[in-house]
Amino acid sequence: MTAMFESAVDKAMPMPSAPGALEDAHARMVLDDWERRWYGEPRFKYELVRSYEEAVFALREHGEGAKALAGGQSLVPLMNLRVLRPSALIDLNGIAAIAPQVEGGRLSLSAMTRYSQVLLSELARCRTPLLTTAIAYVGNVRVRNRGTIGGALAHGQATSELAAVVLALGGEILAYGPTGTRLIHAEEFFVGHLKTDLRPEEVVTGLRLEVAQSRQGWSFRELARRSGAEAIAGVAANVTLSPERDVISGVRLGLIGVDDRPVAGDRTVLSSLLGRIPTPAEIDEVAAEVTARTAPVTDWQSSASYRRRLVRVLTRRALTEALQRAEERASAE
Amino acid sequence: MSDADLAAMPGEQVVESEAPPPSIPGPGLAEPPSQSPETSELQGRDTPASAVAPMRVVGQPVAHHDFIEKVKGSIFYAADWELPGMLYGRVVRATVSSARIVSIDTEKARALRGVATVLTGEDVPSNRLVEKPSGAPGELLVAMPVLATDRVRYAGEPIALVAAETQRLADDAAELVRVEYEELPGVFDPEVALLPGAPLVHDDGNVLASWHIQRGDAQAALAAADVVVEGEYRTQHVEHASLETESGVGWIENDVVTLRVATQIIEHATDIAEMLKLPANKVRLIAAYMGGSFGSKEGMTVEPYLALLVWKTRRPVRMVWSRQESILASTKGHPFIMRYRTGATNDGRIVAQDVDLIGDAGAYPNKSARVLFYGAALSCGPYFTPNVSVRSRAVFTNNVPTSAFRGFGARQVTLGYESQMDRLADALAIDKADVRRRNFLRKGDVIPTGETLDTAVAVGETLERALARLGDPSVPSGPSKRVGRGFACNMHPYGRTVWLQDCASAWLSIQADGTLLIRSGVSDVGGGQAASLCQIASEILGVSLERISVYIGDTALTPPAGGTFATRQLLMSGNAVMRAALQLRQLVAPVAAEALGCPVARTVFEDGRVKAAGKSASTTAPEEGISLGELVRLCEARSVDPTTLYVFHPDAKRRGFDTEPSQWVSFPDYTYGTHAAEVEVDLETGEVAVLKYASCHDVGRAINPLRVEGQMQGGAMQGLGYALMEEIILDEGKIASSLLADYLVPTSDDMPDVMTDIVESGEGKGPMNARGIGEAVIGNAAPTIANAVADAIGFRPTQLPITPERVLALLDAADGTSASG
Amino acid sequence: MSVQQVTLQVNGVAHEILVAPDALLLDVLHDQLGMGDVRYGCGEGVCGTCTVLLDGEAVSGCLVYAVQVDFREITTLTGLLRGNESLHPLQEAFLRLGATQCGFCTPGVILTAYSLAQRMPRPTREEIRYELGGSLCRCTGYTKIVEAVESYLDDRAFASEETRR
Repeated sequence: MTAMFESAVDKAMPMPSAPGALEDAHARMVLDDWERRWYGEPRFKYELVRSYEEAVFALREHGEGAKALAGGQSLVPLMNLRVLRPSALIDLNGIAAIAPQVEGGRLSLSAMTRYSQVLLSELARCRTPLLTTAIAYVGNVRVRNRGTIGGALAHGQATSELAAVVLALGGEILAYGPTGTRLIHAEEFFVGHLKTDLRPEEVVTGLRLEVAQSRQGWSFRELARRSGAEAIAGVAANVTLSPERDVISGVRLGLIGVDDRPVAGDRTVLSSLLGRIPTPAEIDEVAAEVTARTAPVTDWQSSASYRRRLVRVLTRRALTEALQRAEERASAE
Repeated sequence: MSDADLAAMPGEQVVESEAPPPSIPGPGLAEPPSQSPETSELQGRDTPASAVAPMRVVGQPVAHHDFIEKVKGSIFYAADWELPGMLYGRVVRATVSSARIVSIDTEKARALRGVATVLTGEDVPSNRLVEKPSGAPGELLVAMPVLATDRVRYAGEPIALVAAETQRLADDAAELVRVEYEELPGVFDPEVALLPGAPLVHDDGNVLASWHIQRGDAQAALAAADVVVEGEYRTQHVEHASLETESGVGWIENDVVTLRVATQIIEHATDIAEMLKLPANKVRLIAAYMGGSFGSKEGMTVEPYLALLVWKTRRPVRMVWSRQESILASTKGHPFIMRYRTGATNDGRIVAQDVDLIGDAGAYPNKSARVLFYGAALSCGPYFTPNVSVRSRAVFTNNVPTSAFRGFGARQVTLGYESQMDRLADALAIDKADVRRRNFLRKGDVIPTGETLDTAVAVGETLERALARLGDPSVPSGPSKRVGRGFACNMHPYGRTVWLQDCASAWLSIQADGTLLIRSGVSDVGGGQAASLCQIASEILGVSLERISVYIGDTALTPPAGGTFATRQLLMSGNAVMRAALQLRQLVAPVAAEALGCPVARTVFEDGRVKAAGKSASTTAPEEGISLGELVRLCEARSVDPTTLYVFHPDAKRRGFDTEPSQWVSFPDYTYGTHAAEVEVDLETGEVAVLKYASCHDVGRAINPLRVEGQMQGGAMQGLGYALMEEIILDEGKIASSLLADYLVPTSDDMPDVMTDIVESGEGKGPMNARGIGEAVIGNAAPTIANAVADAIGFRPTQLPITPERVLALLDAADGTSASG
Repeated sequence: MSVQQVTLQVNGVAHEILVAPDALLLDVLHDQLGMGDVRYGCGEGVCGTCTVLLDGEAVSGCLVYAVQVDFREITTLTGLLRGNESLHPLQEAFLRLGATQCGFCTPGVILTAYSLAQRMPRPTREEIRYELGGSLCRCTGYTKIVEAVESYLDDRAFASEETRR
């Protein structure tokens, strides 16, 4: 039990990253005579960039200790707590966000789009209601005003609502780095605890999500202990009905809180739903199977066994609701 | 704290009690105050139990004084203060929970340019803080170091101090202080700490204090009872999480160490002086208006560290605890383990309660001994209990120290006795409200501590009103949801235990232009402590609120009022101001009467003037009377000073409180109330949603109904957090997370409106028959929710917080299914 | 370079100041510019005490560096006061309805409510509670805060009705 608790005492009073780092940082101190204010060597070099090319160049130039700053809602708290001490901050906020657009059956969001802009976008609300529904659970209004799509993706939190949606809607993450542009499929993007497939010096530039089709239904369910708190677990579901026979022709799930990273619902298990309209009992069976293929952990918030039960319930409810919505839309045609 | 702050020993001289002050009539005096205010006009007036005479200012929902500054954002809190050359302080804290300190290396920290000083325990002239004894038999007297030197007893214990030119530098330097520990076995569970052979937190043993309340023969009564219900209940460590963290600024002015801090108790100035080995006149403590406290600022927080840094550097120093530091290391609310055995007759009348309480005191005493007394004294709740046996122990562990938290022990036991009442109802198939009605205390009853209740007990009325508020039952929102209802009644003391000889003073002055100054040592935690004094003075002296200024919380400039805690300030300072105002009026009224040519009895103070009431041919004065300014001029001419200092001593039933059976008068009086709620439980996830919530308390008289409602709603919300989501989780004394993101306090998006009802029985010992409300409002919430959940799912939560996982575990245990799968 | 010059437009006034690049907007406003209505609560962006409006949108002052908001419009609670008015109607509503106790969260709450009211003509009670979900209050229990915001919105709707007639 002791080992599982990374000491928050250490987080509150962390040790410096390298011996001598602090002393070196204070080799030069300046006293501003006019304002009688002391300024030490700043903790980090700060550079505002206005394009992804500039960003990548700056990240390369400043080396391993450099971090890209987007919304700052995840990064800056860690810096305030002294848990993360980047040597350089590359501020991406000089890069203008492009308004959401739809082309080729996909909603395109530029990385610097704020959560709040997605919520206000009529296009997003109509074409990707799963996305706008899930985003309403993210943090609080301030987090949504500053937090960006690209930043959230790059952070890769295991409980990110955006990640669940990205997995459920066949998301494609666009990245740019020294070797140029790259497209990463959602299912290959989240690789570990706060770890994505992004290479060093690569930044997320955009996200593409499948828009809702006429015979599709969606659902998002999560349980958090309080509004705005981190989800204990959550499920994003997208169900497609075939045009001819009104049976399930496609189903995707994005799951959060089930592992050290966001995961897609197991394809093999979900494929058992294809070609039919499952009964409630069958949906529950699938939910149980999907859950069984995940690896939720015990932490100080919840036990793994509770998470398992919760995920099964949420998965069942999400699938049920998504199917229901799909059926309603199909019959409205 | 004053010298009077010592427990009385049995056999002390009996002191006759004063009669409680009855209600004050309207703005004028109908009869001459021929004696001092606290005797003649105030004595012997009967007040109807359910009605209070309306007043002009008191009883109005006025918004004034500091509240205006607060909506403007212009109040200066403790951290909103800067002086030239100010340094920034930081405490260096232990990272282990039980250890011997092998060495403390401050060399690298000192070498950092911009660091003004680094201090350790050796730099503290008197490195020991000792709590005044609570009076518990066999209470251990344990010193707490200001800065630990040889031993660490909890993770977060202060070891060193840094002051530097910027906060960043101070934090850097703090990181560079290297402490070498030799870890020692620790004890983290109070029940383990009670076992023989458990590691000792302090050399003299792990039981800080042990209280016993005995009345009648509980064991015999239980054996003979028709029914006995048992229960074990557990509550958690809670964090106050005031929005303002512990903070303050210190400086030296005219050779006096001056601290302006967020504190509930300016009387700590003497503790600071003792620590620095300075004479008491060389320390001044100023209490800034606080951004919340709830008990976290009752003990000293930043004060000793600021004082040391200021005294050493001779420069101003600011210290603001980080939120994470505050969550990690500030004192917490006590977790209680409560075991109840309740015996009753077949028709639901309680015959006996046997209660055992264990409170985790953490590593140092703080207020733990007193908290466990409150728990013991209130453990039977608002019910007549002829036979009582209560044992209550405060036990040391190597966990974070616990101390005052709104409710102070009486909060925790509410879960105990109200769960027991519902169990009793279930066992006897009696309606839950009925079983309580059959047992409610009444005025004149003797309660377990042996005192006779001498004010109205309106708990029954609060029950009816709270229940009525819930309206029609809600329909479950889905097939796997269940709706349930629950309620809980409580009884909560206001005012300090009477054997502590509490007192408070106030100084009122009418200025040359008729404006009024109130000076009081009271501190303001945000509940209108200062503003209420203005309302009271305004009522009596007829000065409008805008023409009253109140100065608070300064050991140099305000007369002592004792601290703001134990829901004592309205009782104490409210009474002090009321009586000071009456005395002041009595002083100047003859001068006014002479000028108006009327009897003193006909002088009326209102709208900033003094008038002659009624018509009289002999009155030569103008109808509109004279202004207060004119009155002051007249007073000067007659060498009458329009100023009063009043020291209020309440009921002094100091008749030798016998601490062994804890018998005789404990508290001045109590506030009664009921909360009721409707919840919906999701049987598949265990989530509990609160659909409706109502709170009703008898406040005697509401000095300001708006503020009373605010206390009720805020207390309920804090109680709901404690019931459902708040928990400081410790593992081997180390906190699982010190992030505010992880300490879940309720938000506006989590809970419904709190519906409120105020009962005014007209009998309270505060000014104008008011009762204290600040703490009475929190304890009901947890049992209300527990009872509602039990109603919804048929199984009773006995552990807080009632998390979804715990709800599922209850359902599983009932099914016999295991938690996995 | 250890310091940088920035121009912060706060409540309509331009402040040209020197800041360290790692100085948080919260600290620059509170300590350097002496604005006591922007306060430290947690440093995590959770409590809302340090809320300011950045070009009209609520943001956490503890999560933005001053150098990031050069030439941007920042509004604090003081900025709601216009000209000779002593209180903005929203502040009046808070005062009248008892929506502030210790006052520490009040600037953040009022600014957030104000920002909502600017965006939506008449949010529902649920929408108000949702928007304020990131502004923690430990004193009031939120009921009176929601009532104050609704009262302001109702008065505003009434006033605009009146002017229309």
